[in-house]
Amino acid sequence: MKRTYIPKLDDILGGGIIDNASVMFSAVPGVDYEAFGYQMLNGRLKDGDKGFIFTNVAEPETIVYEFRSYGWDLEKFLQDGQAFFVDGTSPFMGLPSDAKYSIKDYSQVEEAIMEAIEDVPDGIGVINNLSTLIDYLGEDETIDIIKKWNLHGKKYNTSLVYLFTKWDYNSNLIQNLKKSMDCVVEIKTIEERVIIGQGFMVAHSSWSEPSDTMVLFFVVQPGGVKVYIPKILVTGPYNAGKSTFVKKISKKSVSVDRKALSAFPTTIALDIGHLEYKGFVADVFGTPGQERFDLLLDVLGKESVGAFIIVDSTAPQTFARAKEMIRKTKAEAIPKVLVANKQDLPGALSPEEIREKMKVGKDIPIIPAIVTEGRGVTDALEALLGLIYGD
Amino acid sequence: MISVMFMEDHNMEFFDYLFEDAAPGDLILVYGPPKVGKSIFCYQFLYSSLVGGEPCLYIVADYGSRQLEQRMMEFNWFLRPYIQNGDVYIIDLLTRLAGVKVEDSGTLKFSSVQNLTDLMVKVGVSTRSLFRKSSKFRAILDSLTVIFAFNPPNLVLRLLKAYKARISEARGIGVVVHTTGTVEPSIENSLMELADLKLCFDGEKIQAESSAGEKFVQYTITDKGVKNIRG
Amino acid sequence: MVIELIVRISSGIPGLDELIGNGGGSFAENTVTLIYGPPKVGKSVFSYQFAYEGLRNNEPCLYISTDYGLKDMERNIANFGWNLNEYIENENFYLIDAISTISGGEVESKPNYLLASVHNPTDIMVKLGMALRQITSKLPRFRSVLDSLTTLMAFNDEVLIVRVLTIYIMRIKESGGTAIVTYTEGSADSKVENMLKAIVDNIIHLDGENLTIEAMIGSGKVRAPYNITSKGIIVD
Repeated sequence: MKRTYIPKLDDILGGGIIDNASVMFSAVPGVDYEAFGYQMLNGRLKDGDKGFIFTNVAEPETIVYEFRSYGWDLEKFLQDGQAFFVDGTSPFMGLPSDAKYSIKDYSQVEEAIMEAIEDVPDGIGVINNLSTLIDYLGEDETIDIIKKWNLHGKKYNTSLVYLFTKWDYNSNLIQNLKKSMDCVVEIKTIEERVIIGQGFMVAHSSWSEPSDTMVLFFVVQPGGVKVYIPKILVTGPYNAGKSTFVKKISKKSVSVDRKALSAFPTTIALDIGHLEYKGFVADVFGTPGQERFDLLLDVLGKESVGAFIIVDSTAPQTFARAKEMIRKTKAEAIPKVLVANKQDLPGALSPEEIREKMKVGKDIPIIPAIVTEGRGVTDALEALLGLIYGD
Repeated sequence: MISVMFMEDHNMEFFDYLFEDAAPGDLILVYGPPKVGKSIFCYQFLYSSLVGGEPCLYIVADYGSRQLEQRMMEFNWFLRPYIQNGDVYIIDLLTRLAGVKVEDSGTLKFSSVQNLTDLMVKVGVSTRSLFRKSSKFRAILDSLTVIFAFNPPNLVLRLLKAYKARISEARGIGVVVHTTGTVEPSIENSLMELADLKLCFDGEKIQAESSAGEKFVQYTITDKGVKNIRG
Repeated sequence: MVIELIVRISSGIPGLDELIGNGGGSFAENTVTLIYGPPKVGKSVFSYQFAYEGLRNNEPCLYISTDYGLKDMERNIANFGWNLNEYIENENFYLIDAISTISGGEVESKPNYLLASVHNPTDIMVKLGMALRQITSKLPRFRSVLDSLTTLMAFNDEVLIVRVLTIYIMRIKESGGTAIVTYTEGSADSKVENMLKAIVDNIIHLDGENLTIEAMIGSGKVRAPYNITSKGIIVD
């Protein structure tokens, strides 16, 4: 087994990748994922393995520069001959290349990478970018070539890492690509009108049975791929049941009620919890309902990937405030679920009536709940995860 | 106030007329032969947007961001303050190719014309930031000409679909500029099909075409930009 | 009142500066102009005049020649009564000669005389980089000529040459130069021709009788008759 050097990914894959694995990072357009390939390569080079990068997206010099911005010294490995480029960019632009292999014409790609694989036995090759190859070579030919490379990788015990941008290809092609790989890591966005987060998830691995956990990450310079625990916001008008909701949804929780930092020169009350559900982990923040805490809402809203809006189904007079809070928390641009609490009380409005009164669109699920009894809490979480995972 | 003066000074009501049938989330294709004022129209669209308080994304693909600033200055449109305020996001696809060492600063981002994956990453980041700044924003891609020279045409179409989806999802108005006759007719047809509103420039008139119908205005280029000539 | 922000540089063509910029120069500084038309209408002569005008004003010139070697150029230029030799000696004239290596003939490379081949655009780009480093270390303002794209396209993939031209243009502009490039009308695919027209800033068409400004930053379309005389092109 070899490590991937991507935090959390080794755990999910059962310790890492098999030595001669073919791995495809398949990313939705808009996700910053080049670092996945580069981080794996850098880790392996530091371990003493040999490696190469095939590029048809940037000149080698630019990639060296990118490595430097992550804090990784590729130049040293290039000089030692431990790493080299298969340069499919410079000749294409009429620019000189001092790469070990440079490709003038796409018909030379197959052979050049076959040779490159032989040059890095027990090492690693990174192909950036597979999508660009497809539109030059054609779909069927690309699949054929990938199969040959992967067989060759098996023979020389070389790991091959493909970076694939999932533009609007037909599903047949994508299925065939996946079938040609030992492991596929899907890289997705969390979206609500705009991209608010990105996460990876192992879709398939031939040597292990990975859980379908989505790990959220960002790419930092320097540093590379860093995973983080996302925040989920619980908000709503005063007395709607937010604190109880945070307690019920979390494995553990704590209520903070004390003189806070100077930024908020008043007593703040905050419920903080930590939830783990089917592999998804998140920190949960219950915000105060009073207007004087709106600034806090603003800050938390910016860092969150999802929100629960709790309303008291018997108190329609508070609905306007609930809408106001949605706006304040920037929750307009994060996935959110409305929890219609206190369904057991007389006069409680049904989810449909609340949708009507609040003029909430069909894209926001409204879940009936009796939070004190824990009823509806799991449903609400399932609904939010559905929105976050986007399927 | 400045906005109104600007509009009067620059005879901008024909913009409103042309865009009458465009709604937030729409993709507008600006096309025509070389040198008929497509880019100037975009500068004007950008500048009027900024003056009117709407932030904007400008993807400059045929030259560098420095040249963009220079060219706009020829019309007395100064971009610098808006760059400094973060009102305009610029994605520059060519300056790196000049062998110039450049680093991203604030809302000025450098990418590469042959790395469309990276371009979409930057479009994602900028739409998020613009969306948070204002519920109304514009995104301009000027133009496809050099992108087509550096990428397979099908990949460029894929990029455009992703671009359209990203802008549309955030309810921005997207503009894409294309020089007619630089790609195969089949690719050109696919471009046309992607657009909600098409503005065809021929040097004398701008023909607007959408599901709402067709209309046109006569125009000329002056030192104040694209100017409507009343028929 | 709009302040004129465009700095124009002189073309070296009698009559042209008057036609475009009221005598205050022709080409906006830091732009690239396409000179195109059928064969034998004076595109190379135009290039010589543009280059020579700069040299006379102590502006270095980076000249990429694909059709004439150094000796031929010196002779062609001498025909109009101008002396290139002085500027070769003082190293203000940089020539990337992309023809002599394939046409045979003994030639020796010097710091400001670089040999390349029309078969190898990559090598031309390498030499361009070398020359630019030398020129920009001297003066921030210079001229460049690429004569002609047609020959480069005849020996290479046409779209590759569009990419090379894009990079050439960016490098010239980022280094502070002003350039002209020449192209024979109809010699490449029409798609490529449209791309060329799109990526340059200005376009001048020559047809043997008339010179037409088809596009020029800061000015409109104009046409005027011209003649090729013993003093070069003269616009009436």
